[in-house]
Amino acid sequence: MKGMRITLSWIYLALIYLFILGPMFFVLAASFNTETSFPAAFEGVTLRWYARIWDHKEFLSSAWTSTLVALVSSALAVLAAFLAAYAISRGNKRENAWLSATLAAPLLVPQVVMSLGMLQLASVAGMGTGFWWLVAVHAVHNIPFALRLTMTGFARFDFALEDAATSLGAGRLTAWREVTIPVLQSSIVAGFTFCFIMSFVNLPVSLFLADTATTTLPVVMYSYIESRIDPMLAAVSAILFVLACAITLILDKIFRIRLVD
Amino acid sequence: MPDLKLTGITKRFDKSVAVDDLSLSIEHGEFVCLLGPSGCGKTTTLRMIAGFETADTGTIELDGMDITRLPPQKRDIGLVFQSYALFPHKTAAENVGFGLKMRKLPRADIDSQVKKALDLVRLGQVAERYPRQMSGGQQQRVALARALAIRPRLLLMDEPLSNLDAKLRDDMREEIRRIQKEVGITAIFVTHDQAEALALADRIAVMSEGRLMQIADPTSIYEAPANATVDQFIGQVNALQGSIAKVDGPIAHVAITGGRYIWGLDRQIPVGTPVLAMVKHERVFLSRQRPAAGENIFPCQVVSRTYLGAWIVYHCNLGDQAMTAAVPNHPAFEQFQPGEAAFLHWASADCRIFRQ
Repeated sequence: MKGMRITLSWIYLALIYLFILGPMFFVLAASFNTETSFPAAFEGVTLRWYARIWDHKEFLSSAWTSTLVALVSSALAVLAAFLAAYAISRGNKRENAWLSATLAAPLLVPQVVMSLGMLQLASVAGMGTGFWWLVAVHAVHNIPFALRLTMTGFARFDFALEDAATSLGAGRLTAWREVTIPVLQSSIVAGFTFCFIMSFVNLPVSLFLADTATTTLPVVMYSYIESRIDPMLAAVSAILFVLACAITLILDKIFRIRLVD
Repeated sequence: MPDLKLTGITKRFDKSVAVDDLSLSIEHGEFVCLLGPSGCGKTTTLRMIAGFETADTGTIELDGMDITRLPPQKRDIGLVFQSYALFPHKTAAENVGFGLKMRKLPRADIDSQVKKALDLVRLGQVAERYPRQMSGGQQQRVALARALAIRPRLLLMDEPLSNLDAKLRDDMREEIRRIQKEVGITAIFVTHDQAEALALADRIAVMSEGRLMQIADPTSIYEAPANATVDQFIGQVNALQGSIAKVDGPIAHVAITGGRYIWGLDRQIPVGTPVLAMVKHERVFLSRQRPAAGENIFPCQVVSRTYLGAWIVYHCNLGDQAMTAAVPNHPAFEQFQPGEAAFLHWASADCRIFRQ
């Protein structure tokens, strides 16, 4: 009976991995396939699709734009989330419910709707939708995720640590630098990483708000498949997949964080 | 001159009063326990002395200097927390050295003072360990060393022993007292545990509902409580309701239910006033024979018996009045079974009378 249950739970686990990682397997296989259409049966191994990415400079420049947008917007989102999580965790219950609800609001609005609204807002305000506008909207969209992860950290944080630091002569900022931030380091890094990935792969927001100078990688990929589908896109996806895995593993090694807690 | 002086301290949170017009003077080198049930305002008082809360009214003076509005990092007050609050990412030595680092002392001075502080708490050997690698008792010692390393003007401890198990708690209690005497520092220790307060303190300040009920040495607090609240909070006490019937020299006669009169020490309360007559459980005797002479002798029936090892506690009925007697578990004292008839008696000197 017990053995049966263990077998069943292994099968369940295997199915979960199959559904999560299975699609990635086909993408990886396609990126090395000599066949020019996609999807297609596996014909032979080639690196031609990887080489072809170099011919499409818009992929490289947009990857750089995506990286910049993701870096800056994640930093802003994590900073805002950290301050909010601090206030919520240390403040009283009434503020708590109100603030949490407000900050979680971006989760409830479909991204397409939010992006349209932001586009409208930019035009009403008479501003362009350049780099900073894109960064700001990405940041707002990411705050709820960063907030969840930093809140997890604060839930286990003993505020007596700050009192201890203060009583020993540290000012508020010094106490944060010496104690609060190092102790919460793993949730902050987890929040940042999560935001970075969310921002890097975001299509709806960027689709509406990116202009020609700030086209992000997902937008370029999306417009590419509008005209054709070939394994080069699989190669791009494979690179992103490997990078994401590598970053997660490295962060796990250094900071012992779990993106999913 | 007192080391620490609180004058008329009041602190409100929203609508409730946490601390109400508290005045308190503590002499240099004194060890004072703030004792009271949870919510009595003792922790708020401590946090105001430390500077984490600001008093609404009143002043706090330390060494003759007004520190009421001074930020906590400028007060030079050492703190020990219930949760230890050791920095988890720093070693024992780095924790102890933190305050010295904040004071920008040279590296060599920090090292030698950290070593001194760790030796003081007998923990020199764990300097390079992280808090998670230490036992609760060791962590609390490091926390104490950290608070003392800055050579504070005052040491505050907030229920520092309540996370330790019973045996360790007794050892740490002795240790804290030894260290406090050795350093000669003025100390305030917050606790809800009366045994801890009685064992540790030079003076105990009993608080209730934000007010200071009494401040005195442990013997006076226990044996001469200033009011019914203190009497009821410290030790186990029988409280009998009645009213003053007659005053006869130093003895007041209190009429209780069933037409009985008990004798207690007079407090100049007028005849007819409703009062509580209080006598501690262990000052009530229980015997089979009616005592030949004495005061407050009443026939009773033993209702239940609780065996506590060192003590045996009997709940008795004195008519419709319940009374409890705690009798030492010793061959010199009689033992009883539930249902037995016996005599309760106690000295009028052990019976205190308070207005209701």
